[in-house]
This record gives sequence, structure tokens and C-alpha cells, in this order.
Amino acid sequence: MEILDIITPLFLALAVGGTFVGIVFGAIPGMTATMAIAVCLPLTYSLGLENGLALLLGLYVGGISGGLVPAILLGIPGTPSSITTTFDGYPMSQKGEGEKALRIGIIASLVGGLISLGILYFFAPVLADFAIRFSYVEKFLIILFALTVMAALSSDLLMGIFSGFLGIFISLIGVYDITDGGNGELRLIPPGLEYWLDGGFSLLPVLIGVFGLAAILEQAEVGVPKGQSMADVKIGRDSSFSFSIFRGQVGNLVRSSGIGTFVGILPGVGGSAASILSYSAAKTFSKTPERFGKGEPAGIVASESANNGLTGGALVPLLSLGIPGDAATAILIGAFTLQGIQVGPLFIGNNPQTWEAMVIAMIVANLAMFTMMYFAIRMFARVVTVPKHILFPIILMMCVIGAYTINYGIMFDVWTLLIFGLFGWLGVKLRLEIAPFVIGFILGPSAEIYFVKSLEAFGDATIFFTKSWIAVVLWVLILGSLTASVYLAKRGKGGEATP
Amino acid sequence: MTLNRRTLLAAASAIALAATSFAAAAQELPRNVRLVIGSSSTGGDTYQNSAIVAEALAEKLGIRIKVDAVGVGEAYKALDRDSRGTTLMMFHDQAYLGNLYGVTGYADPFENYIIGPSVAINPGNAYLVPKNSPYQSMEDILTAAENGEKVRVAIQPGGVSEIGFTAMKNAARVRAPGSEENIVALNTGSQSDKNQAMWDGLADVINGSIQANEQFTQLPEDDQKAMRFVWITAGGAVLEQAPPEGMGDTTRDQLLKYASPETSVTLDGEKDFTFDKEFFFLFNKDMDPAIIDQIDAALTEVFEEGAIQERQKASFFIPNFRASDESRAHFEEKRDTYRRVIDELKSGS
Repeated sequence: MEILDIITPLFLALAVGGTFVGIVFGAIPGMTATMAIAVCLPLTYSLGLENGLALLLGLYVGGISGGLVPAILLGIPGTPSSITTTFDGYPMSQKGEGEKALRIGIIASLVGGLISLGILYFFAPVLADFAIRFSYVEKFLIILFALTVMAALSSDLLMGIFSGFLGIFISLIGVYDITDGGNGELRLIPPGLEYWLDGGFSLLPVLIGVFGLAAILEQAEVGVPKGQSMADVKIGRDSSFSFSIFRGQVGNLVRSSGIGTFVGILPGVGGSAASILSYSAAKTFSKTPERFGKGEPAGIVASESANNGLTGGALVPLLSLGIPGDAATAILIGAFTLQGIQVGPLFIGNNPQTWEAMVIAMIVANLAMFTMMYFAIRMFARVVTVPKHILFPIILMMCVIGAYTINYGIMFDVWTLLIFGLFGWLGVKLRLEIAPFVIGFILGPSAEIYFVKSLEAFGDATIFFTKSWIAVVLWVLILGSLTASVYLAKRGKGGEATP
Repeated sequence: MTLNRRTLLAAASAIALAATSFAAAAQELPRNVRLVIGSSSTGGDTYQNSAIVAEALAEKLGIRIKVDAVGVGEAYKALDRDSRGTTLMMFHDQAYLGNLYGVTGYADPFENYIIGPSVAINPGNAYLVPKNSPYQSMEDILTAAENGEKVRVAIQPGGVSEIGFTAMKNAARVRAPGSEENIVALNTGSQSDKNQAMWDGLADVINGSIQANEQFTQLPEDDQKAMRFVWITAGGAVLEQAPPEGMGDTTRDQLLKYASPETSVTLDGEKDFTFDKEFFFLFNKDMDPAIIDQIDAALTEVFEEGAIQERQKASFFIPNFRASDESRAHFEEKRDTYRRVIDELKSGS
């Protein structure tokens, strides 16, 4: 069968339609690309493999990209990987530059997606061979490196680090799952709460709680303001978008796309780490790091190019090792198993047409994502003009639905949303730093697993320093990041950068 | 309001009608059914098998069945809450193995739930070594243990992955008591972790599956990722029911070389140890037996029609329908066998 036989109008329609649905899922707080793929997975059996993959890949690209809309306009990350987009996107939106921020994010998303796709197409098997050189030790050090970002994101260094460790602590509540290689024992659960907390707190309800619900509570406390008018959305000459914003950002774009792709190829590191690391790198390399967290376009560029860079990267281990690179591709693998197709080191060679079809679907999805989002920006931006007494209940309802459905209908996830909404609201009053807290919460479980597994497997803590040259490079990066954070904090510049 | 005869009659009729409707409804599966599974993955064999069975059962009964990959803890909670038949569960031998190994959250399924019909076997549970390993077979591995060499086996503890490891230790104990101490577990998580443990040189043997690892066995020996099967735990009689083309580039006949009787891991010095990963329904303990009968009857018809078997075989499952009563007896017997092995190994007898 020729590749042109696969690329039928139905194939294209599914890729484009999937992208649209994915954007909608990503744009709704609490709904994610992973959820969109899970919902549509059963459809793929009747569609056939190539058409099914076109739909799922469209959902994947759209879902990851759509997350930037609520992140920028509402300060609520639509997906976990768009957390860092909120740091600068939301402040821009508050300054009336929402439209500009959206355009920056969408262009960065397209570039990130296409760069990672190019890397996937040309280097997948080579990168897979490189990825397997990252054992528990190297993966732990990457997580540790990402955790150092906590310091860079803190306005009060000490409180930021405390908040980050609190996030790690809370993330470890629950069972040390045997599916992670744990011992299956419960830990850190207050007596009497074992029934509810055995699975711990789910990530997404926590995220939308501390970002979404907490913001609503905060607004409710001061009184619900009127919505902005469209005139407020775009103000002054500085607020209008121009491609000149990307002048000087080429390095940031390429670096962040590369980081996103690289993190994607490492199974188990997690998609959020990609945007966190890229954001940190962009800030470190910036001549004006003090502007990060206050509406700096480079922050959005880093975050969005990295999380879309992840889309191609996460497919590398999936298609070269049969191992999913992130949560969404873990579900994507179901499309192959439902069709009885093996994915592993011989997949690309044995299934050239399916492989080509996937790459084409990704290209179509990225272009469709760009077209749909770029030209719908004004419509998106109107969200901020909706009166808050109408908007907030809608957001709250979507958050609740999202929390309930993320794990296929677990009511405790709704309680988690409410608990962490209150926690986020009270935490700010107690000077807790929410961004480091969330980063600690996201990265804590992976850090624990890889730390414990490193010690179990190698039996000696010196292995973290002696395992490989990769480990040494990672230590240099960790120390560099810490030094930069302390230096910036001392200069008082980093201190004002809290999102 | 005065109660006259007509009012009382009308009320009695309404109650009788409602009771009749309720009774009728109680004997049947609801229109919308949630099939929770003991895995949180939609890419694994539990989801794949459940999706096939759910679709066939839904079509047969004219109802909707949604498969939800909630994981074992949440699946049991959902099942505990619902005796109306709105929530059913599908899982595999891990349900009782987790309990036998004492894993938190694994209640005894025979005590706390009703074991429903079995539907399929995944014959893929396997053990592999690096292609350039000095161990070419299970015989080499057990001999190495007898000779005092430590053999490190990467498993996910507490279930299907561990039962084969337990069997290896048991075989070593039967062949040369004390040598089982040389077969040691490396506890890992997902298949990705087990593979990585092999590539890092941390494990000599890994637990895997025909489906997930076959392609690695096709790689050239100088490739770091290359692997070789040494044992497939399914019995030869079960594996013979797989399609002749086998999986990937490995035919069924080639796979049979790694399964009993050609590859022997002894249970007691006479019989071979085998393990078939079987999928079955679990029901709330208080669920109306009429609903169980309805499911049994519907599945009997589905399997008699034969289309589901084709779909199962295409996905490398072996069709294995047993109605609830037969299924329960089968799994109790199976559980007792593995319990004996685990207990004997623990006691060192």
C-alpha cells in the first residue's frame, strides 16, 4: 500500500478533528490531552490503525497545545505541562496583553512541535539507544536538576524551598505502589484516612485546586470584579503582537524545544519536567532574569516550545522501545495493542507505512493546531471579558468535572480539588510559595522512586557521583542552577520573580 | 384526605407495580454498566481483554458497558459500593496472588467478592536473559544457582511477575535444597524498568512478556538491547492454542520450546510448574445471583457464536470461557497450588 492510499480525506479529517477536540480538552481546566486520548481510544478499533492514530495524535497535539489558553487567560494550567506558561502568561493577560501572550505561545508551540517531529523522524532509533544509557541514577539527577528550579522561582528563598519540600512530602502520601517497584505499603497517612488516601492525592485535582479554585476564592474575598472589555485585552503599542518579539528568542526556542524533546525520550521523567527545565534554562540564560514571572514573553516561549517538543520526544521510546514516554503516549500504546500491533525496536522497520502515517498525522495536527488557534485568538481572548460572576461558576464547574473524570470517576479527586483550593488560598496568606510547592508535588514521586531504586540497585550512595559522565554533567548543571539561584536571590532580582 | 376503598386499591396497585418493576430490574443488568479493571493502564492486556469482552457482552445484551482503568484499589472500592450490577470488575490472577503475597490493598477475592466467569488467557508471561548471557536456558540458570552463582531476577513484586520467580526458587530448592538462596529478586516496577535493569547490567534475568519483548529477541547479539527467551510460564497445551504464526517473527513452534514440557521448571520433582494468566470477572458479594446468571448465559452465547474467539486470538489471547461456578472452583484450586508453593518456600520445607 502506498502512503497516498493511507492519507485519505478521512485520515486528514480525523487528524484535524482530533486536533480541534484536543484543543477544547486542553483549554478546559481539568481536562487534559491524556483524558482526550483515553476517551477516544475505544473508537480507534473500528477506525483501523492509521486512521485511529491520526485521531489520537491530533488529540495529543491539540490537547498539549490547548493547555496554554487557560494558563494565559485564567492562570490555570490546562494541562500539567503548561504550569510554567502561567508564570508569565497570566501576568501578561492581567496587563491586558492576553492576545499577545496567546500568539507567542501558539507560535512557540508550533515551532516546538515541528522541531521535535523532525528529531523524531530522523533520529528516533539513535535517540532510543542514547535514552537507555539513563538508568535510575541519571533519571534521579534530572529530576533533582528540575527541583532546583524551586529556588529560582521563589521570592523568599527559604520559604520557597520549604514550600517545595512540603509539596514533595504531600506527593508521597499514599501507597508505595508495587507497580512502581515499591513495597506496596502505606505511608504518611493520618490514622483513619487510609481508605481515602491509599492512592494519595492525584496531580491534576491538586493543580487545578491551587491554581484555579484558590484564585476564585481570592477573588471572592476581595469582591468579584467586573470583566475586562475587549479594549482592555489589547492596550497600547507594546501590547500588540509582532514577530519581532521572537528576535533574540531563536536560541530559547531551539534550546527549549530540544529540552522538551530530550525529556520526552526519557521514560518516567514526566512531561512537566520538560517545561520546568526549559523555563529555568531560559531564565538562567536571560539578560533580564528579573522580568521572569512578571510577564516576560521568553518565559512563554520556553514553556510552550518545550511542552510541544515533548510530543515528538515521547514517541521516540514508544516507537523504538515499546515504552511510552509520558502519560498520554501510555494510552496511545493502547491503540496499537487494540489492533494487535507490537511496538518495539522493530516497529519502524516492520511498519513503514504506519510510521509514515504517524509522522504525517503529526505534521497535519501541528499545522491544524496553529491555524485553528492563531486565528481563533480573539475569540479565546474574549474569555476575560466575560463577567466574573458568570465566568467563575463556569470555571468551578469545569474544574469539578475535570477532577471527577481524570481518574475515571473517583469522588475523592473532587475533595482533593476543594482541599487544595483552600490550601492554595490560605497558603498565600501564610507566605507559602505556590509554584515551588506544585513543582515539588509533581516531581516528588519520581524523585523518590529513582532515588530509592538507585540505592537498592547499586547499594552505595557514591553511585550518584560515579555512575557515568552523564551523571557528572548533571551535577554540574545542578550546582550551576543552585549557584545562579542564590546569586540572583542575593542581588534581589530573583527575589521578585515569583509568579 | 379520606382513605376510601378506591384510593387504597390504587395505592396497593401502584406499590405492586413498583415492586414488580423493581424486582424485574433487579434481575437484570442495568442499561449502563461500568466495568472497572484492576489496572490503571489502557495500554495493557487487562484493558485490551476487557474491551473485547465488554463490547461483545454489551452487544449481546443491548446495553452499554464502559471499561474504566481505575487500578485495583479504586476498582475494589467501586465494586464494594455497588451491588446493583452497575459496576462489575475484570482482573486476572493478580487478584489472589497479591493477597497470597500479602500486598496491601489486596483483599481475599474469594472471601470478599464473587468470582465470575473467566474469559481468556494471556499466555505471554515470560522470562528473558540478555542475548549474550552465559545462561542460555532455565537449566543453565538453575545449574548456576546450584553452583553457588547469584542469579538476579528483575520482577515486579507481589503478583503475576513474582509467581514465576517463586517457581524458579522452588525448582532450585527441589533440585538442590539451599540453592534457592542464590536466586535473588531485583524489585522493579514497569516493563520499562525491568528492561532497563537488564541493559544496566543489574539483572541477569527479567520478567517480561511475549508481546512486549519478542522484538528485542530479534535484535542482533551485539545490540545492547538484544534479549533471549528462557522460559514461558504458560503450559504447552495452552500455548498450542495460539495462532501458528506466533508473535512477530517468532512462530508458535519456536515459542513452545520455552514452555513446558520442553523447558522444565519443576513443581515437585515430577510435574512442571506452569502459570497461565487468566482474566475473570469479579462481582459484589451481594449482587443478585440472577444478574450473574444473566452474564453467564450471555457469555455462553457469545462464545458459542465464536466471533469473540477470533478477536481474542488476533490479540494473542487464548479464549477460555468458564461460567461462574466452574470458574470459581478452577481459581480456588489454582490459588491453593500456588499458596502451597509460596508457603513451602517461606518455611523452607
